[in-house]
Amino acid sequence: MRLQLRSLLGAAVVAAATVLPAAPARATQDASARVTVFKEPSRDNEGVTVTHPQLDVGTTLGPEFHLGVGYEVDIVSGATPKVFQPRPGPLNVDAVSSATKFSDVRHQFHGALSYDRPTSSVSLGGSYGFESDYKSLAVTGGTRSDLLDHNFTVALSYTHNFDEVCDANNAGLGDQPLKLKALTSSSHCFTSQTDVATHRVHIDTFQPSISWTTTPKLLLQLGSTVQILDGFQSNPYRSVALGQENNIPQERLPQFRERYAVYLRALYAVPAARGSMHGMVRGYSDSWAVQSVTGEVLLNKYFGNALLLTLRGRYHLQSGASFYRDAVGYRNLGPNGQYWTGDRELSPMSNYLTGAKLALFKRPEQERSSWYVDMELDLKYELLIYHLESADAPNADRKNAHIIQAAFSLRF
Amino acid sequence: MSISNSLRVLAIAIAIASGGCATAKWTVKPHQRELLADRIMQPDGDAQETAADDHVLSNREGAIGGSGTSGGGCGCN
Repeated sequence: MRLQLRSLLGAAVVAAATVLPAAPARATQDASARVTVFKEPSRDNEGVTVTHPQLDVGTTLGPEFHLGVGYEVDIVSGATPKVFQPRPGPLNVDAVSSATKFSDVRHQFHGALSYDRPTSSVSLGGSYGFESDYKSLAVTGGTRSDLLDHNFTVALSYTHNFDEVCDANNAGLGDQPLKLKALTSSSHCFTSQTDVATHRVHIDTFQPSISWTTTPKLLLQLGSTVQILDGFQSNPYRSVALGQENNIPQERLPQFRERYAVYLRALYAVPAARGSMHGMVRGYSDSWAVQSVTGEVLLNKYFGNALLLTLRGRYHLQSGASFYRDAVGYRNLGPNGQYWTGDRELSPMSNYLTGAKLALFKRPEQERSSWYVDMELDLKYELLIYHLESADAPNADRKNAHIIQAAFSLRF
Repeated sequence: MSISNSLRVLAIAIAIASGGCATAKWTVKPHQRELLADRIMQPDGDAQETAADDHVLSNREGAIGGSGTSGGGCGCN
């Protein structure tokens, strides 16, 4: 469910903010296929595997328009505990066996039309995604303008999500949140069955940025993301063990969340090495008291005329939400206020990512006489290592994740 | 026009002029953009790849944003 929420936003914003580099002299078509496999092993169970194929095709419509459409799927399977509770011990012998197998498939279609002028562009797009317990409709618009002889580029995108999430029918509980029931199955979702309910989620996302061509070798970009979420944001399947009285209510999160991020990106060309270096720092804060800093470095280097190697390193450090406690804390002390969660995203943690990508590309020696403009094959591997503050944090049994990606793209 | 107003206008004119000079000094000329036009100098990279990467990380971190937007300043639009 959360996969749906985040990915739709990401895809929609990217679709809005991204305009193909140039309005080419001749009509061109482009197609890209990509498969990402995310595997997060667990020491207690089979972990989580996400297979994520993507297919995008596009075409120029005259010299100034580009139309792109795409389809992607998330095939998710694995096992995860439905109850966030302390790890196995003398008082909790069945915690491991409580991990429940699950699988889900999310489909998403998206499209965008852009109008490109030499110094500006406008794009409009939308996406629709659905899975057994979540539906999402997003509309997005973006614009960019080059100023002062292309030395500055100002861009802005806006996305609104009209989402629906399935939940157990907890109507009538009034002010007894400790009795909230978790959703046990999605089989009745979006039907007229009375054991389930549908909640609406509205998400507004603004992304302004300004890029400055500082020197012939240096580009700086300052950007921000502002996101406002209003609606049901809990994992409907997850429960949290609270207090000594054996209360196990459904996860409960605030209905409203404001998220702010500011980033600075620098790209520096190193012609002597036939490469470039990218650096990014990001600060983030939200109304749930999650704060984070992230740093990232990319190194690019060409080998010969057809091979590009990219090395990536990334570090992320964040605090937990104001209402977060680890499983032992929730069990011994009860909730920290009126909300509780078993979400790793809301826990204090850090992670490291490192990886490499090889891009093999081919361009015809004489473009005019060739049937294609360029083609490219990418292979990428990345390792994500988590560092959680406590052995009783959410998903503490999963220490790392492997990300494998292969892609093929063609313009003709 | 009083002296004080004249000086104010002059000061504003100097500020605008010096600002213009500074802008001109900072301007990267079209013939200097060869490196900036290369794919390895594009802040947003490949849109499909960026979407996939964001998809992975945004589901595992409590933060969003920072993946960059289009706008390379290469003048290749």
